[in-house]
Amino acid sequence: MTEAFVLTAFLEASVRLGVPLALAALGETVTERSGVINIGLEGSIIAGALGGALGALAFGGAAGGVLVGAAAGFIVAVVFAAFAIGLGTDQIITGTAITLGGLGFTGAIYQARFGATGAALTLPTLAPMPIPLLSDIPVIGSALFEQAPTAYLAYVLAPALWYFLFRTEWGLEVRAVGEEPDTAAAAGVRVRWTRFWATTFGGTLAGVAGAHLVLAHAGTFAENMSAGRGFIAIAVVVLGRWNPPLVLVAALVFGGASALQFHAQTLGLDLPYQLFLAFPYLLTLAALAGWVGRSRAPAALALTWPRPR
Amino acid sequence: MRRCIGAPILVACLAFAACSGEARTDPDGAAPTFRAALLTSGPVSDAGWYAGAYDGLMLLRDSMGAQVSHQQTRTPAEFDEAFLSYAADGYDLVFAHGSEYMDAAMRAGEQFPNTTFVVSGGGSFSTNVVPLIFELWEATYLAGMVAGGMSQSGVVGMVGGVAIPPVQGTFRAFEAGARAVDPDIEILEAYTGDWNDVAAAKEATVAQLRRGADVIIHNVDGASFGVFQAVREAVDAGGVAWALGMNGNQNDVVPEVILGSAVIRIADAFRETAVAWQAGEVGGASIYAGSSTDIVDFVINPVLADRIPARLIAAMQEARARVRSGELKVPSVPFVEGEPGAS
Repeated sequence: MTEAFVLTAFLEASVRLGVPLALAALGETVTERSGVINIGLEGSIIAGALGGALGALAFGGAAGGVLVGAAAGFIVAVVFAAFAIGLGTDQIITGTAITLGGLGFTGAIYQARFGATGAALTLPTLAPMPIPLLSDIPVIGSALFEQAPTAYLAYVLAPALWYFLFRTEWGLEVRAVGEEPDTAAAAGVRVRWTRFWATTFGGTLAGVAGAHLVLAHAGTFAENMSAGRGFIAIAVVVLGRWNPPLVLVAALVFGGASALQFHAQTLGLDLPYQLFLAFPYLLTLAALAGWVGRSRAPAALALTWPRPR
Repeated sequence: MRRCIGAPILVACLAFAACSGEARTDPDGAAPTFRAALLTSGPVSDAGWYAGAYDGLMLLRDSMGAQVSHQQTRTPAEFDEAFLSYAADGYDLVFAHGSEYMDAAMRAGEQFPNTTFVVSGGGSFSTNVVPLIFELWEATYLAGMVAGGMSQSGVVGMVGGVAIPPVQGTFRAFEAGARAVDPDIEILEAYTGDWNDVAAAKEATVAQLRRGADVIIHNVDGASFGVFQAVREAVDAGGVAWALGMNGNQNDVVPEVILGSAVIRIADAFRETAVAWQAGEVGGASIYAGSSTDIVDFVINPVLADRIPARLIAAMQEARARVRSGELKVPSVPFVEGEPGAS
């Protein structure tokens, strides 16, 4: 086995593990730029995962699964937005409830549909679509450009969302709502409506992330399989400093840190495995502590608007 | 103030929805013979460890007329609360399916002397708290023999959730079984840190397959689907690879790649425990359930039986008989302090 072969295997695993984080984190970046922190992202991911599985079975194809997954993630985010933005409930508490409820609901639906004791589903999967020329680049080519279409969606969204947020009037409104909602409102921006669609956009992408997890990665569904990815995605947004291209890079770095743990354990290094498992999180802590440069969250993040008196 | 009402109501609604496993039943309206409850800290839809316990609870309902209830606890903070709710509600027998419940069960046992608590894989006991220890290592030893004999590459792999004694015990025995057949075999070991993270289990398996492993055993819950999927994809890509099932009979989960399963007949063990409890024989000592009582066994997948050399099957069967008779001691990890572990 050659060194390059091991490196390529590691890079492929990094991208596979990083893409669902990237999709969820890119959506959450837009959400947080509008001043909403959606802790319920995990709920959207697991709903997207189950939606992806059910949709793929119902329509007999992975593409249908991705659409149903996106819709499921959207619906969960609508519930969150209805409470956190519509009624002005505390974003953190509401998001936590959405996550717990999402995990419980998907479990109940899965058990009702496939029996209480579970079954390994055989789902139509999103086959990797190699991009001509690019996938022939040595070492990184197959890792980056021989992936499922949902991975390319993440690559395209990163620059597109940057352009949207920083070069369009609409993006300016989103950022204004996230920084100075009172000023934005005075200037005629509909604050709650902007936050609503920014949040549901994030939920939809989290749904796609869940569908990707099931249809492009695992090929099957298990309860609780989101395994905390919603929370990691929120950390990735901070790591990427609320800037879409950096968020994509941060997600892939995080995927690499996760992939490293499996390859390091398999190499049989005589170190406690918990050390490897902790590695991605230590990386996040280091980033949060300002290791990759200071960053500032949107000023109105997690603040209810209009402010309760 | 109006704005503050929404969140608590939402939390309450969703918390209720989250208790998805609740299944209180009263068969035919007849008075139940006794009341039994099951606590799991993961979903019962894993076709393995938790699914077997849920089947056991249903068996108590259907064959013994018990009134039953199941709860899935989410965090360790809920353990005490769950025990309290069942014991205070007058449940006679509470099965807590995992060693993580041990400390909370001891506390509940002191508080509620009239309820008997059975902790699967637990590590201590009192008059009304007993560990039910499955000697699964006796079966994974046999699984190791099959793995060692079937491996063409001389490398086999083990993928676990968390390195707790019940998992380590099965892996040490697997290694011993594999080495009994092929002393030079290389054995890879990886943990994912999560019992249900399908993607992580799949990546861990892929990493082992890439390192040349061609037989993979797991000890995770729902995430086992990821292990099987990785092996199936390796086979679809033209490779030769096999998987081994664990905790329940998983042979028909992915029949084309699973050579056999190290099975715990958890339902039967629950039933036997309940029968012994009715006879007043449960309490003050650990219950060991192993291959001598047929609770633990290695079951070859009938679909793939003709792919395993007859010589290997014969050697495995012979070792199985020696394990059952107690002649062959399989390495294991002790559960209860001062007790040897293996029977």
